[in-house]
Amino acid sequence: MTALLQNVFAGLALGATYALVALGFVIIYKATGVLNFAQGGLLALGSYLGYTFTNSLAVAFGIAIVLACASAALVGAAFQRVVLTRMVGQPVFAVVMITIGLLFVLDPLVTAIWGFDNLQLANPWNIQRVVAGELVLGVRDLWSIGLTATVVAAFFVFFRYSRLGVAMRATAFDPEAALAQGISARRVFAVSWAISSALAALAGITLAAGPGGLSPAIGLIALTAFPAMILGGLDSPAGAVLGGLIVGLAEALTRGYQDQLFSWAGENVSVIVPYVIMVLILLVRPYGLLGTAEVRRI
Amino acid sequence: MTRGHRLVAALATLAVAFVAGCGGASGGGGGGAGTPGAPGAAPGFDGSTIKLGVVSALSGPVAVIGKEITAGNKVWFDHLNAQGGVAGRYRVELVQEDHQYKTDLAVQRYNKIKGDVLAFTQLLGTPNTLAVLPLLKADGMVAAPASYDAFWVREPNLLPIGAPYQVQAINALDYYLTEDGGSPGSVVCSMIQDDVYGEAGQAGLDFAAQRRGVRIANTQRFKVNTTDYTGQIQALTRAGCEMVFLVAAPSDAGRIWGAAAQTQFPGRWIGQSPTWIDEFANSPLTPYLRDRVLIVGEGTEWGDTGVPGMRDMLERIQRYAPQHQPDYFFTAGYNQGRVMTALLEKAVERGDLSRAGVLAASRELGTVSFDGLSGDYRYGPAETREPPRTSTIFSVDPSKPFGLATRKYNFSSPDAQAYVFQKANL
Repeated sequence: MTALLQNVFAGLALGATYALVALGFVIIYKATGVLNFAQGGLLALGSYLGYTFTNSLAVAFGIAIVLACASAALVGAAFQRVVLTRMVGQPVFAVVMITIGLLFVLDPLVTAIWGFDNLQLANPWNIQRVVAGELVLGVRDLWSIGLTATVVAAFFVFFRYSRLGVAMRATAFDPEAALAQGISARRVFAVSWAISSALAALAGITLAAGPGGLSPAIGLIALTAFPAMILGGLDSPAGAVLGGLIVGLAEALTRGYQDQLFSWAGENVSVIVPYVIMVLILLVRPYGLLGTAEVRRI
Repeated sequence: MTRGHRLVAALATLAVAFVAGCGGASGGGGGGAGTPGAPGAAPGFDGSTIKLGVVSALSGPVAVIGKEITAGNKVWFDHLNAQGGVAGRYRVELVQEDHQYKTDLAVQRYNKIKGDVLAFTQLLGTPNTLAVLPLLKADGMVAAPASYDAFWVREPNLLPIGAPYQVQAINALDYYLTEDGGSPGSVVCSMIQDDVYGEAGQAGLDFAAQRRGVRIANTQRFKVNTTDYTGQIQALTRAGCEMVFLVAAPSDAGRIWGAAAQTQFPGRWIGQSPTWIDEFANSPLTPYLRDRVLIVGEGTEWGDTGVPGMRDMLERIQRYAPQHQPDYFFTAGYNQGRVMTALLEKAVERGDLSRAGVLAASRELGTVSFDGLSGDYRYGPAETREPPRTSTIFSVDPSKPFGLATRKYNFSSPDAQAYVFQKANL
């Protein structure tokens, strides 16, 4: 039973990180209709910025997280204002290709600045743990879960009660009607990029705060968060969180028991589990668990 | 050989056949047959300068390894050029290309510079070497793989160095059983990267385990860059593993040992040499690693000037790359330079610095000593080559320059001596 709980806890912590990344994907998609393929690159950039604040500038870890998220948000918003603004009204495909271009720019940019070495982010979490009976809870994992829960709650409040949040929802629902009401679509787009980039940075720092440290490959986690976003529903923030947790739990539990329960499926089956779940869910619910079904007049 | 590798190899071979069919292949020999002592010009050799290819990961996730190996290549050849070059006469120039550890790029980059170089002093990575090997054969080119797989021993176009990974695993198990508290009844497990690099270590472990009557109780295979290893550590704990042989890259090793440290996994870890980076020696993981982890590798600890090879290498680093930090992979690149030099000097001795001449020289190359940096390697015809079968066991010691202290230096177990290197169907 302890082993099961241990794996469940690991899955929740992993899922929380996936949820943050997936949430970043969803916020941009919901506001602009664009799938941002640069999310992994922004995650890497944010985590390396965190490294600079903590290790190079000796800023306290908590403040470094805030600074890194704010810096990443600035980068995201600036990219939207400088580059993507010019693409308003252009085909979505072209904008998506630009985000792919951004990913390919961010990757060498990160390595040009910080190099290829494996770096250890100075932080108080790392392998610290809390022992609860026979259960061992990693401090970093607890923070990942806690931060994700806080962020999700904050988003709920933000979208429901703040003017900007309502403006973002209105723009996502009907951009033309929102514009007619005096809502600045450009501002909404820039804010969505800023929020998404900050979330990526937060996810990156929580990952880099673990014992594996920081390497340029850290952005690859976005590939696994991708099915989390799809199965949750492309336009649903709640779906992104749900999808992240489902993928994290499924991955951790499969990994923990693959030699006992899934040996028939070959070794290392946990790698494909997120994608299998995504396909199965899409077969039943083509728009994801909480996604909005698109209605088209033919 | 995986299906992917076969596909790449097949495509590469088809590409060569096509180019050759068009009359565009640069061919293997060149016009280099000359008289002994005065080799004629040939592709990659203009009569005074020898150009050698380096196809490595200079960007991307594996650049942390590729850049170090290339730095090792460079320091060796800087030193050699300062002595006058190969045979004291021919300067060496390195032509570097970045394959980003991608097989398609490896093939592209190889093709890009093969006409300009005499041989390749570095070709990084098992999958990349597998992809390029058919081209090497077609072109009659020699390359030194930066990879310790046993496949390479019997390949005439490859010039490997060091004890293959299989030997490391065999000697590691021997050390555990004879000097580290293990017994044939011990619960021995493995945790390996899910690729050819991981399988090489596993093959050695399986071989040694069978000979020693040890059962490998549990094997955890994982994909590179897995985010969380709690599940695998739980499985190893459940299996009661007393020793786990680990084959991983450093970033994964950090996460694996991190998960193990959090749950205080009580078993012994022995990591294959590439698992280690010096950052581990001064990290929150250090106390756990010091208690539980050993590394199997080659040569001696960094800074041990009692070993001639290390003493010389440190002097040369001081002269040609004074800012360089200690690194295991650097030594591999440095040794590659040494063996390539030995091969080229043999070719000069034969009076033929063409590709064909270099390939022929490789069949006559005798034992090359690495002065204790690695075991001596007996070259010659691929079918009779004898790689070193020695390993060194290191313990974690933050006071050492690379974070590793020699625990048992340069030993070879009877099982390692018995391992047979067979020609693979590549």
